[in-house]
Amino acid sequence: MRTSLGATTGRAARRLLSSAPALIGVLVFTFLLMRVLPGDPAVFFASGPNAGQAEIEAVRKQMGLDRPIPEQLLRYLGDVGTGQLGRSMTTGQPVMKDLRERLPASLELTFAALLIALTLSIPLGILAALRPGSAVDHGVRLLCSLGVCVPTFVSGLLLIYVFYYLLGFAPDPTGRLDVFAAAPPGITGFLLIDFALTGDWEGWRAAAAQLVLPAVTMALFVIAPLARITRASMLAVLGSDFIRTARSLGLSRTQIVVTYALRNAILPVLTIAGIVFSTMLGANVLVEKVFSWPGVASYALDALLSSDYAPVQGFVLLMAVIFVAVNLVVDLLYGLADPRVSIS
Amino acid sequence: MRARAYHKVAAGALTLTVGFAAPALAQSRTETLRYVTGASVNTLDPTMPGTTREAFAVSLATYDRLVAFGRKKLGDNWVFDLDTVRGELAKSYDVSPDGLTITFHLRPDAKFQDGTPLTAEDVKWSLDRAVSAKSLAAPQLLTGSLTSPDQFRVVDPLTFVLTLPKPDRLALPNLATVYPVIFNAKVARSHATEQDPWAQEWLKANTAGSGAYTVETFRPGEQVSLRRNEAWTGGAPDKPAAFKRLIVQSIPDAATRANLVERGDADIVIDLQANDAAALQSRGKLKVVSTPQFNAVTLVSFNNTMPPFDNVEVRRAIASALPYNDMFKAALFGRGTPLFGGNWPDGRPPSAGFPIPQPVHLDLAEAKKHLAAAGLPNGFETTFSFSVGQAATAEPVSALIREALAKIGIKVEIRKLPDAQMSTLISDKKVPFFTDGIVAWLPSTDYFFRNFYTGNQRWNYSSIMNPDIERIANTARFEQDKAKYDAEARELNAIHFAEMPQIPIWQPNQDAVMQSSIKGYVYQFHRQVDYRDLSRE
Repeated sequence: MRTSLGATTGRAARRLLSSAPALIGVLVFTFLLMRVLPGDPAVFFASGPNAGQAEIEAVRKQMGLDRPIPEQLLRYLGDVGTGQLGRSMTTGQPVMKDLRERLPASLELTFAALLIALTLSIPLGILAALRPGSAVDHGVRLLCSLGVCVPTFVSGLLLIYVFYYLLGFAPDPTGRLDVFAAAPPGITGFLLIDFALTGDWEGWRAAAAQLVLPAVTMALFVIAPLARITRASMLAVLGSDFIRTARSLGLSRTQIVVTYALRNAILPVLTIAGIVFSTMLGANVLVEKVFSWPGVASYALDALLSSDYAPVQGFVLLMAVIFVAVNLVVDLLYGLADPRVSIS
Repeated sequence: MRARAYHKVAAGALTLTVGFAAPALAQSRTETLRYVTGASVNTLDPTMPGTTREAFAVSLATYDRLVAFGRKKLGDNWVFDLDTVRGELAKSYDVSPDGLTITFHLRPDAKFQDGTPLTAEDVKWSLDRAVSAKSLAAPQLLTGSLTSPDQFRVVDPLTFVLTLPKPDRLALPNLATVYPVIFNAKVARSHATEQDPWAQEWLKANTAGSGAYTVETFRPGEQVSLRRNEAWTGGAPDKPAAFKRLIVQSIPDAATRANLVERGDADIVIDLQANDAAALQSRGKLKVVSTPQFNAVTLVSFNNTMPPFDNVEVRRAIASALPYNDMFKAALFGRGTPLFGGNWPDGRPPSAGFPIPQPVHLDLAEAKKHLAAAGLPNGFETTFSFSVGQAATAEPVSALIREALAKIGIKVEIRKLPDAQMSTLISDKKVPFFTDGIVAWLPSTDYFFRNFYTGNQRWNYSSIMNPDIERIANTARFEQDKAKYDAEARELNAIHFAEMPQIPIWQPNQDAVMQSSIKGYVYQFHRQVDYRDLSRE
C-alpha cells in the first residue's frame, strides 16, 4: 500500500512537471494576445477631463508599456517567477492580492454548484437509465433540455425575481454576505469553512443563504451534461454480462445498481465533472454579474473590457493551473473508482 | 400583489421570532446609507489615473477641499452652482481687486481624522502635490492657471495665499473640484519614498484626511464602508454628517439594483436604466429626482479632417437628416433635455451658455440639397461607432441613424467597440463618425470650447482647428466684464453652429432613485451623490 501511494505521488509530481511547458506557453500566448488587441490601456486610464498626451505617456511608462515587447515579456516572466503578477489598473491592487481574495469566492460557488448538480444529476441519470423510454426518462430529458436552453442570466434573474423580489425568502442577491453582517476572520477565504471554524453558526447560515440562489443557477445549467452522461454510461453497463450474472445470482437490486453498475459507470461522469468544474469556474461571468458575486471571472471580464493587461494574464494563468490540477485530481479519482486504471 | 402581501406576513413573523435583536438592527439600519452602483471604487486617492467617478464621491466624503460649490434651483431640483463658491476648510476667502491674489482664512477648529489640527502647511503640501505629482490633477488645475508651487504661500498657520499670473475666472472653481483635496501632510510625508515623493502608492489604499467619514473597509470592486467622523463639523450648521454609516456597494446588474431599491434594501441609486427609472417613478413608491445633466452633452460627432466629413455641407446634410425625436424617445425614453429643435430668432444664438438647443430639424429635402452642394448627390458609405459601455443608449441611436441616412443615400455600417478600443481610436483620430459624450466639471462656455474644440487631443472629438474659436475662448477665459464675456460666448455658439463640427443632441437626465425618507439630494459637478448632502427624515 505504502509503495503504491509513493508511486502515485511520484507520478503526480511528474505529471505536474510535464505540464510546465504548457503553462509557460499559455503565459506567453496570453501576453502577446493582449498586446495585439486593438485597445491601448494607457489611453483608457488617462481618461480624466483634460488628460492629454503627456498624461497618456506617463501612464504608459507607469505600466511599463513604453519598453519594447520582448523586454516587457522577459520582465513579466521574471515577475511571475517571483510570484508577482503585476498591478491591476481597474482595482488599483496587485493582481496576486485580487486573485487570492476572489478565487475562494469563485471556488466556493463552483463547489456548491457542482455538489448540487451531482446530487441531482446522478440519481436522475440512473433513474432514466433503469427505465429507458419511460415517462421518467422523458421527464429527465425535458428537465435537462430546459436547463441547457435557459441562459444562466435568465434563470438567475428569474430566481431573484421569484425568491427575492416576490416571495422575500432569499436575502438580497448582493455578493457573499449580507452587507450589514460581520465577515469572519479570513482563515481560508471560504466563508462557510471560516464560519464553521469560528463556530459562528448564524453567520454560516447567512453565508449559505447567499450562496443558494447563485449555486442553483449554475447547477441548473450543468445538470444536463452530467445526467445525460450518467444515463448513457449506466445503460451500457447495465446491458453487460456481469450485470446479467449478478441478476441471475439473485443479488439485491440496490447492490446491482449501486455497487456494481454505478461504480463501473462512474468514470466518464468523473471526466465530465472535471471539465464542467473548470468551465464553471472560468466561464460563469453572467452568474457572478447577476448576483454581484466577487469572483475571478467577472474580475477578468472587467479587466478585458478596459484592456487592463495584468489581471487578464494573471487570470488565464490561474485557470491553466487549475485545469492542470483538476485533471490530476480526476485521474487520481479514476484510480479510486477503478483500481485497474492508474494515472501513469 | 398577493405574493407581496404574503411576503409582508412572512417578514412580520420573522421580526417576531428574532425578537430582541430586531430594534437595535433596525435603528442602525436607519442610520446607515446604502448606496448601490454598477461601477466600483478603485482608489482612495482621487488623483490616480483611471479613478472612477464613484471613487471621486468617496474621496469627497473622506477629504475636504478649501472651497466647495454652492447650490441653486434648476426647475424643481437642486444642482451645484458654478457661480457660488463657498468655503469648506476655508472659513472665508478674499479676492484682491485685480483678481490676482486670493487669500484663504482657514477654519481654526478644522482637524484631521487623527486629531491633529489642519494648518496652511497641509494646504500648501496638498496643492503642491496636485500641481507637481504625475497625476490627473495637474492638467485639470492648469485650466485655472494653477501650475506651480511658487503660487502657493503660507502666511501663518491659518492663512494661505494663492497668486495668479492672470485673473483666471476658473481658478477658484478649480479648487472646488475633486483633485485639490487637502491631505494630512505629516502623515502622507511619512509614507513618501524616494521614488514616490508624494506618497501616491500609500494613499491609493489609505486615507489621511479631515473629511466627514473615515474608511472602515475598502474592497475595490466590491464595497467600501465608511463611518462618520464625529469631530467633522463642515455640515451646516456645525453638525457632523447625518448618516452614521455609509456603504458604497458595487452591484453590476442594473435590474438587481432596481430590485434592491424597490424592495427598500438600498437607499439610493443613480445609475439605473432609463426604463427602470421610469417604471419605478410611475409606481410612485420611491422618490425619483430626475435632473438634466446640464454639464454633460451627448454628441453625434464627425472627424472634420476625414473626407467626406471635412466638408461642412456633408455635416449640415447629416444634421438635417437625423430623426432627433425618435432617437430621443428610443434612447432616453424622453428623460433628458433635447439640444435639437431650438429656435434662434434672426439666426443668432439666443444665449451665452453652452450647450444650448441648436436650430436643427429633420428635413430630408434640406439634407439632400446640402449633399448635392457637397458634390455627393448619391451619398456615400461610412461607419458609425460607439462603445460597449454606452450601448444602452447608443444602440437604438445608431440603428435609427442608419435607417434615416439610408433615405439620403448614405450607407452606414454600425461598429460597437470595447471601451478601451473606442478611446484609443478616438485618441488616434481614426473614427470618422460616432457618438460619445463629454462632461465639464466647470461648465462655463469658454471651458467647454477650450477643452473640447481646440488642440490635437482626445477630447477634441471633431478634430476642429478653428483659429477664431481658439482666440475667442482664450480671451473669454480672462474676461472680467460680464457683458463682454457674454458677447464672446455668443460668438462661440454662432461659430459652432456655422461650422457644425459635431451635433449636440441632448443632455441625459440623471435619475436619482431613492427611498422617500431620503432628502437633501443635490446634483453635483462630478455627477455623483455627495453623501454629506443627504439625511433621512
